[in-house]
Amino acid sequence: MKKIAAVLMAGITAVSMCACGGASTASTTSSATASTAASAAASTAASTTASTAASTATGDGSDELTVWCWDPTFNIYAMQEAEKVYQKTDPNFKLNIVETPWADLQTALTTAGTSGDYSTLPDIFLCQDNAFQKNVKNYPDMFTDLTNSGVDFSQFGASKVAYSTVDGKNYGVPFDNGCVIGCYRTDVLQQAGYTIDDFTDITWSDFITKGKDVLAKTGQPLLSVQAGESDLIMIMLQSAGASLFDEKGSATIVDNDALKEVLSTYKELIDSGVMIQINSWDEYIATLTNAQVAGTINGCWILGSIQTAKDQSGKWDITNMPKLDKTSGATNYSNNGGSSWAVSTNSKNAELAEKFLAATFAGDTDFYATILPSSGAIATYTPAAKSDIYNEPQEFFGGDKIFSKIIGYTSKIPKNNTGVYYYEARDAVATALTNVLNGADEDSELKTAQSTVEFAMQGNGTSSS
Amino acid sequence: MADKNARVLKNGYSLEKKEKRTGWIFLMPAVILIAIMSFYPMVRALILSFQTGVGKNMAWTGLSNYIRMFQDKLFIQSLMNTFLYLLIQVPLMLVLALILATMLNNKNLRCKGLFRTLIFLPCATSLVSYAIIFRSLFANDGFVNHVLEAMGLIGTPVAWLTTTWTARLVIIIALIWRWTGYNMVFYLAGLQNIDYSVYEAAAIDGASPWTTFWKITAPLLKPTILLTAIMSTNGTLQLFDESVNLTNGGPANTTLTMSHYIYNLSFQGSPNFGYASALAFVILILVAILAFVQMKVGDTRE
Repeated sequence: MKKIAAVLMAGITAVSMCACGGASTASTTSSATASTAASAAASTAASTTASTAASTATGDGSDELTVWCWDPTFNIYAMQEAEKVYQKTDPNFKLNIVETPWADLQTALTTAGTSGDYSTLPDIFLCQDNAFQKNVKNYPDMFTDLTNSGVDFSQFGASKVAYSTVDGKNYGVPFDNGCVIGCYRTDVLQQAGYTIDDFTDITWSDFITKGKDVLAKTGQPLLSVQAGESDLIMIMLQSAGASLFDEKGSATIVDNDALKEVLSTYKELIDSGVMIQINSWDEYIATLTNAQVAGTINGCWILGSIQTAKDQSGKWDITNMPKLDKTSGATNYSNNGGSSWAVSTNSKNAELAEKFLAATFAGDTDFYATILPSSGAIATYTPAAKSDIYNEPQEFFGGDKIFSKIIGYTSKIPKNNTGVYYYEARDAVATALTNVLNGADEDSELKTAQSTVEFAMQGNGTSSS
Repeated sequence: MADKNARVLKNGYSLEKKEKRTGWIFLMPAVILIAIMSFYPMVRALILSFQTGVGKNMAWTGLSNYIRMFQDKLFIQSLMNTFLYLLIQVPLMLVLALILATMLNNKNLRCKGLFRTLIFLPCATSLVSYAIIFRSLFANDGFVNHVLEAMGLIGTPVAWLTTTWTARLVIIIALIWRWTGYNMVFYLAGLQNIDYSVYEAAAIDGASPWTTFWKITAPLLKPTILLTAIMSTNGTLQLFDESVNLTNGGPANTTLTMSHYIYNLSFQGSPNFGYASALAFVILILVAILAFVQMKVGDTRE
């Protein structure tokens, strides 16, 4: 009897030992420190494959596709509606949607790509536009070429399609719009004697003057940003058609007059108190929903988060962003984020995936009309902008027809160069910015940023052409 | 022992050999698993560190990764940050754990179990959860600032996470909060081995608690202190979760740790796994050197 109990206990202990992930204990008690890189890759691959074990590309013959994307109220909702649309033509069609945060998705792509084992990938996945160049150039065998797949790319905004175009070939079907808007509390502006038109088509110096006035009269800053993040810098840079890289892929961080003006404008915004810095994404959303700031400048996807504050309905409105004063080519339009659908080469049903995407996201204006109201999922599909629903007044925004405004802005967004080392460059510039805000010399910080990016680029044996 | 060697059993094996064989059979499953799961990846990572390239395009390059890292300013920064945590946090934490263990070893203290559990409880929390909670505690309008302002100690909120030294301080505080209990348990176990009669003798001889602590407790605990020092060094050099979740590398990479930098290299930017492996091996070498030094200094076994 004792023996049986002992064997049972040992068995249970062994099973529970296998079950515990060990990621937290491994970091402090593991002696295999050298395998950090290898085991980190292996363990993230293991955890993502474990969680998506039932969600890899399904076999051919069945009309089922697996999709990885994030955000249940936005991307996943859109996919579910698209499924319904396609089921009208093919009643056996089914989508298996797996919610995967972008960070996990990027890790899964990197792991699958580096190991050469694509069997863990789904049929369709959503990829951030900024990461397209990097992922396609590093792992070209992972993405299906969609150039001749039946998707009509001319119906999408040119700057948007450019993100997922590598060496002239299309690898992504554009989806959500990252068009930058200036979003402000009209009641606060009114208190200071301004309307939304006073913030339309203006320059940054004008913005700062008015912002100081609003701050003085109402005590509220106009903007909030996450400290150490480079989103706003990249937004401002792209609004003038400038980038951190040139067409050939060399870093253009030093001798970049647009960047210098962006940095000095940013510094003035912080120093004057018109813009405040907070530490994390949750705090940023909280400043908006708790009415600590009177506005924000970000991609139009921020509207979903703003609208969660139901008590502020009717008090917001949108317009375009301010433009840089001195830089030539400055505009009031820019882009932040946005993503596109990619088809992996692991898909055994690539044709079905392409047909599906062409029929829904790249062909059905009614579909876009359906998903707009509850998700605010604004399209980059130009014909969809003509449907009536885009011209409906939105109560939350004081009855303004914000969606048609946004579609109008989208066509004016300047292109920019992202390239393979985009994320390294963004981080380097964010570091330079933080140091400049704390009093460091701008030129030397930019030189450091440039050399950091060039260091990262030169370390890789093969060139990144 | 001579009997065992001389006495040969029926099947030709001596008893000693049979015992050795049984021992090996018990060890084999664990050895095989460790060899496949730990040693094989380590060897592959070492091979990887001699290659370079983006994504899958790897090419042999000898020691260039190791030479390159000395010119990598970000790596040097992360190295300095990690060593800063090591030099400040580890001694503080170990001393605190030792003091707590001694206090909680007192025979006459009531609710000892409760105190020990409460101090150990932080170790049972998830690394990510506690880092996120600490981040919101030390936010600009977080709990800590509220309390300090209410007590009148500060006028304006302290920007904990956006200033270099306060961000490092927050990480050190978080680490101490989390790992003191863990080390305290080790010391408590070690203290059980010290016979109570030693303390009685010291008390009779007129030793104060301070003298008792330094002259009797600490020297007798040397093996345990050595163990916790090596484990803490190992853990701190591999620090990752706090750097990512609490400060995300901190204002301008001033709280970035080496493991966090390796993660950025591998998964955030354009991946260069060869270079990342080389960096991981450097961490291994550092840990090995420090462990060796600590053992030379602290090991009193003959």
